[in-house]
Amino acid sequence: MSASCYIPENLTEALEIRKKVHAIPLAGGTDLMVQAKRGIGINPVFPAPIMIITNLEELKGIRVEEDGTLVIGALTTSAEIASDERVFYHIRKAASLMGAVSLRNSATIGGNIANASPKGDLPQPLILLDAEVVLSSIDGERSMKVDDFITGAKKTALKDDEIIKEIRVRPVKATHLFYHKIGTRRANAISKLSLSILADVEDGIVKDFRASSGAAGNKVKRDRNVEMILIGKHIEELPSLVEEFTSAWDGILSPHAMPKYRRESTRRMLSYFLERIAAGAEPGIIE
Amino acid sequence: MLDNKISFTLNGKKVEFIGDPLRRLIDTLREDFGLTGVKEGCGEGECGACSVIKDGKLVTSCIIPMGSVAGSDIWTIEGIRDTELGAIIIEAFADGGAVQCGFCIPGMVLASYVLLSEKTNPSELEIREAISGNICRCTGYDLIVESIRLADSRRRGV
Ligand SMILES: Cc1cc2nc3c(=O)[nH]c(=O)nc-3n(C[C@H](O)[C@H](O)[C@H](O)COP(=O)(O)OP(=O)(O)OC[C@H]3O[C@@H](n4cnc5c(N)ncnc54)[C@H](O)[C@@H]3O)c2cc1C
Ligand code: FES
Ligand code: FES
Repeated sequence: MSASCYIPENLTEALEIRKKVHAIPLAGGTDLMVQAKRGIGINPVFPAPIMIITNLEELKGIRVEEDGTLVIGALTTSAEIASDERVFYHIRKAASLMGAVSLRNSATIGGNIANASPKGDLPQPLILLDAEVVLSSIDGERSMKVDDFITGAKKTALKDDEIIKEIRVRPVKATHLFYHKIGTRRANAISKLSLSILADVEDGIVKDFRASSGAAGNKVKRDRNVEMILIGKHIEELPSLVEEFTSAWDGILSPHAMPKYRRESTRRMLSYFLERIAAGAEPGIIE
Repeated sequence: MLDNKISFTLNGKKVEFIGDPLRRLIDTLREDFGLTGVKEGCGEGECGACSVIKDGKLVTSCIIPMGSVAGSDIWTIEGIRDTELGAIIIEAFADGGAVQCGFCIPGMVLASYVLLSEKTNPSELEIREAISGNICRCTGYDLIVESIRLADSRRRGV
């Protein structure tokens, strides 16, 4: 039998339970239920109390605030994210390629972040966009960058009285976008490699450039110093910087998590993106 | 451990479940409600044999705990087969030769039902995407895709 299981009716009740018994939140259950599986007809058992938050309305849905900040409730599913045009391209695309239809109907963004699997698909685009998580407890709220929240493989800064309330993404200016995921097979594919890139080009100058690599180590890899190699440069200079940039990028990927041939794919995608921009590619998605 | 009372709608009827909220939806459907059209393949959300429709969306019942089902509208093959569209799909599967051992078929029919409820005249890509989480070990999918097409044209009367 399970330690105990709560079904809070609203966020306040959930936070009280979280504070009192540190119950583990179960959102979509797509990670937790697989971990706790015991077999046909046998109820799953968890080592600690559970609270099922699947139906907490306060944590659902997507909204855009006046200043353009996109707010995604922690219980928003991948399917909902994938079908909402207001969501920034990289996040939407990553959500649309998670698992198969039914998985996307259950899997939540909060669960994907809290699970902090290096192979999880949503942290990668969120980190690209400097997204923040808002953490709620009965005593108040705090927020931090997703990149700081995920501290390592399966490790986060979540305190035992907190739950993720929502994810906030401020608008990011970009002219050129790229997302690619290489998975294990057609459906329900867990990432072997994922890469997001964006560039903001104005009058031939690279005003901003960002990239992030998923499944590339203990956590998502991004490095502002490496991105700076390209920022401020004229697009005509890019071809001569490809080698320096891609080598520096390769240097931040973990050789253990990513074998050589997969690091080569990353390098090729980065080079391709830069070459397309140097060739004056129209603003939009680079495919 | 307190038993919880969970109310939901099952194939159009209001029902109640009393028990461990961590009990898997698939076990409740098969063992408590006798709905054995829900099949267990992998038990890990990978194969789609246990698919049901929850609030209009396809989900895998092997990784959903009863506590998540409170207030939901659940449909299984036993309920869908009696709907107009459900009957058309099942007939098209039979006529189109989509069924071999039959194990994946309830899940396939439910996936098709959700697709055809949302879209008329879906493309082949859309059909393949809609059933991408439903694994069939027998047919190689082509006859299933064709049968879904057939169902779509029949319900449009073409
Ligand atoms: C068949 C299959 C295919 C999959 N494919 C992919 C894939 O392609 N890409 C991918 O990234 N993942 C994939 N996954 C993994 C999983 O579906 C995702 O990680 C999903 O986003 C988890 O969300 P959930 O709501 O189901 O999490 P749950 O299982 O409910 O929870 C996961 C963890 O997050 C915690 N948690 C959940 N919500 C909150 C919250 N609001 N606040 C604090 N903590 C919280 C839980 O306590 C738990 O530790 C797959 C899983 C399966 C079974
Ligand atoms: S039995 Fe549920 S997905 Fe395989
Ligand atoms: S008909 Fe046998 S698994 Fe599909």
